[in-house]
Amino acid sequence: MQYRSNTPEQTKKIAAEVAQTLKAGDVLFLEGNLGSGKTTFVQGLVEAFRYDGPVRSPTFAIMNVYPTSHPTIQKIVHVDLYRLADASELRTLALEECLEDPNALVIVEWPHLLEPLIKKPYTKITFAFLENEARLLTIEKYP
Amino acid sequence: MRVLGIESSCDETAIALINKEGDQIVVEKKFLASQVKTHAVYGGVVPEVAAREHADLVFTLLQQSGISRDGSDVDVIAVTAGPGLIPALRVGVELGKSLAWAWKPGGAGSGFAGKPLVAVNHLEGHIYSVWLTKEMNVPQFPALCLLVSGGHTELILMKTHGVYELIGMTRDDAAGEAFDKVAKLLKLGYPGGPEISRAASKGNPTAINFPRPMLDSKDFDFSFSGLKTAVRICVESQQGHSVEDIAASFQAAVVETLVTKTLRAVSEYHPASVILAGGVAANSSLRASLQQVLSHQNETVTFHAPDLSLTGDNAVMIAVAGAFRAEKEEFVDPLTLIADANLSLVK
Repeated sequence: MQYRSNTPEQTKKIAAEVAQTLKAGDVLFLEGNLGSGKTTFVQGLVEAFRYDGPVRSPTFAIMNVYPTSHPTIQKIVHVDLYRLADASELRTLALEECLEDPNALVIVEWPHLLEPLIKKPYTKITFAFLENEARLLTIEKYP
Repeated sequence: MRVLGIESSCDETAIALINKEGDQIVVEKKFLASQVKTHAVYGGVVPEVAAREHADLVFTLLQQSGISRDGSDVDVIAVTAGPGLIPALRVGVELGKSLAWAWKPGGAGSGFAGKPLVAVNHLEGHIYSVWLTKEMNVPQFPALCLLVSGGHTELILMKTHGVYELIGMTRDDAAGEAFDKVAKLLKLGYPGGPEISRAASKGNPTAINFPRPMLDSKDFDFSFSGLKTAVRICVESQQGHSVEDIAASFQAAVVETLVTKTLRAVSEYHPASVILAGGVAANSSLRASLQQVLSHQNETVTFHAPDLSLTGDNAVMIAVAGAFRAEKEEFVDPLTLIADANLSLVK
């Protein structure tokens, strides 16, 4: 499935639509270059779960956790593997704890190191640049 | 009072021992996990990966620091309890709890079964890094703190020791993160702060008019994500700007945004002092601009920035913040203390 977004606000609206289709235990991978709208997308998605705290880039912290009041998706784990140099660093993050949590929705930015290792189905959203602020979002399910 | 500080909130594990007697604070020992010699395991210097694994390193770190095995030279243990990355935070918190549990209390007549333990907020630690200036020129309250690092961009009003109000923060990327990502776009090295600063010193800061995001918003929040994107578009459009000019123009946009918002907060909250802390406090352009503009606008407000060696994450600042908490006897129970990824500065 593909969406065209003309503005960051539209990216947030698309995220809110995608949020409707998600369930606890789901994993989302977000791929796209710097400034392509990944964190904006997560902001829209987390807002759709009525979390009103700040949703900021986890690049430095690597992982942010947002508790929600949703009955099944009780927390959203926002991961950013941008700073990781190789797959050996993944085990220091105890990501499997989140990936196996039946009450968590896990969203991973810069997932390329995790993708070959993940043992469960995931959805990948790719952010491509169009003209100006416009972006093309492509949503694919794996496997 | 001798305070052992333990910091492990993200990439680095560090311990430090300070001695605070009245207003005098002396740093007696400071060690970083990335400096520990563990030839057997890593064959030399510990890479960043391993520094984040910390757990393998903490006892080697303690041993090499020369802190007495029985804790007899330590009165209080101070540990970063959050915010940060949970697997990393846990290492320091569990170490602090274990030592507090095992070590005998110092000083006669102490009512505690173990060594007194204090929990320090990582952001609070950064703020206290300015209490270590050699001139004994400490901030007065209320103090307005601009905390800028790879993970944080916050304006905090410190009313007195341990009492904070968050008045603004970044809504997306931290300022230090913007430096790192722009450095990568410009194919400069990591960490990006010093690299951008170096390139910027040879460039023209008015060459490109990058956006100053949220400069006119009424609140004290920041946003650096759009600025990063503006730099990317500038780089990819190949308009012939030099790396030095882009770096200088980007740095000017960040500095102007931070300084303008801080000044506006000064007008609103009338602090006695302004504190600049965190990794980006090492940026000489930001330090100089903020100091200059402050002294120009308001001669009564004092300006405080940490020694360059204390701008990044370290355990000395945790020990100092912990010493002030210990003076108020704000001790925590090792049985119940847990690492909190989202630990708030405001109670």
